Amino acid sequence: MNRFARVIILLAAFLLGVAWILESRERVAGAEPVLESAPIAGYAAPDFTLQSTNGETVSLSDFRGTPLVLNFWATWCPPCRAEIPFFQSASQKYNGQVAILGVNDGERPDTVLDFVGDYGMTYPVLLDTGSAVSVRYRVTALPTTVFINADGVIAELFPGIINEAVLEDRIESLIRE
Amino acid sequence: MLPTISIGPLVLPTTGLVYILGAWLVLTVVERAAKFTGASVQPTYGVAFVGMLAGFIGARLLFVATHWSAYVDNPLSIIWPLSSGFSPAGGLLVGGVAALYYARWQRLPLGRTLDALLPGVIVGFMVVSLADFLGGPGYGQETTLLWGIDLFGIRRHPVQIYELLAGLVALAAWYFLARNRIRPGRAFLLGTAVYAAGRLLLDAFRANAPLTTGGFHIIQIISLVIMLICLVFLAFDTPPETAETAE
Repeated sequence: MNRFARVIILLAAFLLGVAWILESRERVAGAEPVLESAPIAGYAAPDFTLQSTNGETVSLSDFRGTPLVLNFWATWCPPCRAEIPFFQSASQKYNGQVAILGVNDGERPDTVLDFVGDYGMTYPVLLDTGSAVSVRYRVTALPTTVFINADGVIAELFPGIINEAVLEDRIESLIRE
Repeated sequence: MLPTISIGPLVLPTTGLVYILGAWLVLTVVERAAKFTGASVQPTYGVAFVGMLAGFIGARLLFVATHWSAYVDNPLSIIWPLSSGFSPAGGLLVGGVAALYYARWQRLPLGRTLDALLPGVIVGFMVVSLADFLGGPGYGQETTLLWGIDLFGIRRHPVQIYELLAGLVALAAWYFLARNRIRPGRAFLLGTAVYAAGRLLLDAFRANAPLTTGGFHIIQIISLVIMLICLVFLAFDTPPETAETAE
């Protein structure tokens, strides 16, 4: 193959590539509106209403307009206990910028209340006594943390223990959005 | 999607498991590819091992450095848990530099070494696609095609499966040139060009791909640049005798 033919082939590859990139841009320019709710990043976070340990009725939709962190946990779960100080610290550090909610998975209210007092948790802790919300969010491992942006769209589901730096990194990403 | 696997009372994150198995698979593939291409097996394996290990450490260290205030009161959290908290840029930089230095120290020939490493790199990308398919946040655009997968009531392109197929095609292209053991470096260039072309094509079907502010797919732009560089080298590289001598 002579030099001219090679140049033509390269040019064709370049033009086809650019054309495809432009075509792909058109596809995403009108990105799908987020209508469906599902426990997956990019979808609207499924709404729920639960009682808090303070006796208040709290709905997810109450927090629309504010970035939100949901932490599914249980008192019997050692990794959950290990990361609670990080959520407590973040709730104070980002107070007013991000809402942090603990969602206790399937335990008796008095057990949770005792624990909340012992650990000095001041952020809202919700009682998912029947685990209905955990099931709805397909929580298969505790702890699981869900990061939700101000539009109510899930940014990330994070199964397993999270460390303080990662928690702050994700919260700051939510604030920047 | 299968974000976790339950074995009795034990619940394991699929992504982590796939990455651990993937690391072993990548090293195994590099070892076999080195034998196949006639490269020095142990030094080539060493390049892959050093690159992966240094990349892992580098990715963690850069993340720690950029979030130091969160680690300073609890330095043990630098080493545990390791399930998250990595900077891909740090991994690529440190891993790449370490692999390069190791290869230079071992005086490995560039072309043949790259030929031997490429299948491992492609398999590495395939492992990432598989992990993303099973437990990650990526998903395809809506489709009515028969092979679409149902995700919370919506049929979507199985975009990570497409990526796995692109990897297989790239490996076939690599094999096509590598089996002849002529003109070292060409199998690497062809395999890379084919895989980059695949990602350029397929990223259009991803629903939540990273975009530029103008709405262009970042992965497509990177893939196009890599594909063109490889094609230029393939089209205008030096004759085989010179290439061998230069190494």
